[in-house]
Amino acid sequence: MGILVRLDEQLHARRMTLTELAARINITVANLSILKTGKAKAIRFSTLDAICRVLECQPGDLLAFDATLPSSED
Amino acid sequence: MTRIPTHALTLARPAIQVLTVLNLLYGCAILAFFIASWVVPDWPAKPLGYDPATMHDYVPMGLRTLQLMGLVLVGLVHLILRRLLAIVDSVRDGDPFVVANARRLQTIAWCLLGIELLRLAVTGIGAAVSIKSLGSNGFSLGPWLAILLLFVLAGVFMRGARMRADLEGTV
Repeated sequence: MGILVRLDEQLHARRMTLTELAARINITVANLSILKTGKAKAIRFSTLDAICRVLECQPGDLLAFDATLPSSED
Repeated sequence: MTRIPTHALTLARPAIQVLTVLNLLYGCAILAFFIASWVVPDWPAKPLGYDPATMHDYVPMGLRTLQLMGLVLVGLVHLILRRLLAIVDSVRDGDPFVVANARRLQTIAWCLLGIELLRLAVTGIGAAVSIKSLGSNGFSLGPWLAILLLFVLAGVFMRGARMRADLEGTV
């Protein structure tokens, strides 16, 4: 998939662990891990909203598009 | 309120298995009658009350056609029961809302359509060979509505299963 998730970089910049973020936005670590590793098929606006509030960032800081990567339908 | 469907599902499995065996026995009986119609003289015309001397020439062939249609019916019922058992098993396994079950429902609907068409054909042949016991099976709206309902349900099931598949992997 051409969409890259940069959650790891944002967490690292704020010295926050995945477990801590999961607890603060009330999502299981397993689900957040799926998002972090780029295995998620979709992200809810409510999840994005919660992450952006806690990490004080914009959706664009978390997601990026790389046209060189194959699409999910390939 | 939810207890009745739960009990119904619990009872469904053994009931379907018993019906499958009965249906296969019924098929064996029809097959035996069909073979007998070629071996035993005037069978089954004579036991049904036909006088071999005066009956029309097409009566034995009509009766054999009815027996063959009976075998097709057994096949369709068997297919329905197998698909139904698979659906019941998927409920027991905890994941019934899948595309496979939608396809199974669709197959059941097609089989029921086949059975209803067979029933009409049997009535027609019965009338042609003057079998009085088949004369009362006229057109009935109920089965056709049930078939329509099944096709609609299969479509709804298919859409629901695809929507659920879309939601899988959503965080």
